[in-house]
Amino acid sequence: MTKRTMILAMSMLAFGSAMAADPATINWAKIPAKKIQLFYPGQSSYEWLRSDAHKGAAKETARGDSCTSCHDASDEEVLQGRKILKGGHPLEPTAIAGKKNGNVDLHVQAAYDKKNAYLRFQWKTQNPYAGTEHQYLRFDGKEWKVWGYPKLDKVVQEGKQPGIYEDRMSIMIDDGKVAGFAKQGCWLTCHDGQRDMPKQFTKEEVAANPLLTAIKKGDVRKYLPDSRTDPSDWKTGKSVEEIAKLKAEGKFVDLIQWRAHRSYPVGMADDGYVLEFRLADAGKDMFGGNADSKTHQPKFMWDEKKVGFKSIRADSQARKGDLFLVREQNAVPFDPNADWKEGDMIPDYIVSREDAKGSAADNNAIANWNAGMWTVVIVRPLGLTNADDKMLKEGGVYNVGFATHDDNITTRGHFVSYVKTLGIGARTKADIKAVKLP
Amino acid sequence: MIRRLYSPGLVIILAAAVSMPLTATAQVDAAAAEKIFKENDCHKCHHETKAKKGPSLKKISAKYKEKKLDEKEAIKHMTSGKKVKLDDGTEEDHKIIDTKDVNVQTSVAKWMLSH
Ligand code: HEC
Ligand code: HEC
Repeated sequence: MTKRTMILAMSMLAFGSAMAADPATINWAKIPAKKIQLFYPGQSSYEWLRSDAHKGAAKETARGDSCTSCHDASDEEVLQGRKILKGGHPLEPTAIAGKKNGNVDLHVQAAYDKKNAYLRFQWKTQNPYAGTEHQYLRFDGKEWKVWGYPKLDKVVQEGKQPGIYEDRMSIMIDDGKVAGFAKQGCWLTCHDGQRDMPKQFTKEEVAANPLLTAIKKGDVRKYLPDSRTDPSDWKTGKSVEEIAKLKAEGKFVDLIQWRAHRSYPVGMADDGYVLEFRLADAGKDMFGGNADSKTHQPKFMWDEKKVGFKSIRADSQARKGDLFLVREQNAVPFDPNADWKEGDMIPDYIVSREDAKGSAADNNAIANWNAGMWTVVIVRPLGLTNADDKMLKEGGVYNVGFATHDDNITTRGHFVSYVKTLGIGARTKADIKAVKLP
Repeated sequence: MIRRLYSPGLVIILAAAVSMPLTATAQVDAAAAEKIFKENDCHKCHHETKAKKGPSLKKISAKYKEKKLDEKEAIKHMTSGKKVKLDDGTEEDHKIIDTKDVNVQTSVAKWMLSH
């Protein structure tokens, strides 16, 4: 399938009659754009910010001062990102080859109607191509093994694996119920011990941890301070009952991620939340692993009749375009008896709009990459009542944090914003004001 | 050593300033001084008008005028790392600027006191 037909198919899928406005036909030129500065935060965790290494600011941060009470120069984010990435900074121990800029200009526009909020984002990518590729399963003559890793991973740093990871646009949303989020934003969720952070967890520590074993997790990801008895120690998780209570009180943040490989091809953005972990909403995501947990073989391969091939190879021309494995569009069950050769590759994730279900399937999105820039419109229904969603409604003002992952990277390798406010037809002032559509 | 501390461009700007007419010197110096001020994180505690953790530049300059202090006093503050008292009564070592070049220190001090 060519790039163009893929996009066409996608927009038809996503925007049938169910939706109020078609985000592709909204006149965005009439809606004011706000430039939000994002910067590379490195390992500036909750714990680092409260330590003496955050010189002259530990006490102020611990007592809950807003980050921008000090970090308020007009070009603050540019200065900070540059400083952290210039080499030798204690917040970034890994030299990421080719990372040129420490900051990203994110242009944000917002609109709403009776049914939805429409959030439009534009930013320039570092590479002269869209980061729509994600890891593959590669046949090594005997077995299918993961090929392609995010750039902060050791195997990529050592040149043993290519750096491959999808681009992302993420939003964190608080409705005022999470203590401190209005002042310190996303940094409340970022902690030592997490993946790619200082004192990263060990498998043994996770296996011995009551909370993580109770929720069946094998690593440490974003969490809110309230979910721990000592917010600076991920090991001190509260009981599942206490956490359920916090959730019922709305003391969690929504986390929406638009993913250039795992949600873009089916016109969606994922829907998750952060409380004791970074969790997916109830139901089923639009993507899932394509490796069989027992045999490690792929579950699906491309439908040769539709795509022209069952698999690709590292040097395939096809890699220059958008390559997705979409269950209802171009996939068939894997054939273990086909004549597989060493170096054959199949995507490690299978994407499906039809299989996405429940609260995890709330968010739609359209996107395109043109001349070095992503344009993404996320469509979020108003009035959601799911237990794992922040309900957006007319008259509301929300605390939001933005992040982009660019250049084949995950975890801390993103560009982030200080906390901003998003108003949906609210009278009070907000950094970003959603315009009511006719 | 200078190369380690400043971008080469900045060194040229500062050097060139010496041979420029007075008004131009002041302007070029101001931009360069502000850049050094920011690169040293001084702005995170000293806002132009607002009290942050440290006094605002307006307040510092007013105090210096009143007490007839000059940039030499300001330089002492940015180079000696002496204890400063915070609003809650605790003490902290003051930040030391990352250059030993007196000309650069002087331009930063002058720029601060020009508010
Ligand atoms: C009381 C003022 C103050 C507050 C509040 C504060 N900071 Fe800082 N921050 C500083 C200062 C001063 C530095 C420079 C420290 C140094 O000398 O390296 C700094 C450094 C940093 C750095 C390293 C890059 C740089 O600019 O040097 C990051 C990242 C950072 N702060 C993030 C935050 C975040 C996020 C928050 C809110 C959770 C925050 N800070 C709150 C004053 C503050
Ligand atoms: C962590 C916060 C902090 C940082 C960073 C900081 N200062 Fe200060 N500074 C203070 C405080 C607090 C005082 C007030 C001291 C007092 O009144 O005793 C002060 C005082 C001063 C004064 C003297 C004012 C007077 O009344 O005599 C000067 C000059 C000065 N700072 C310059 C700088 C420069 C230049 C930098 C950057 C290299 C800098 N400061 C960085 C907190 C800071």
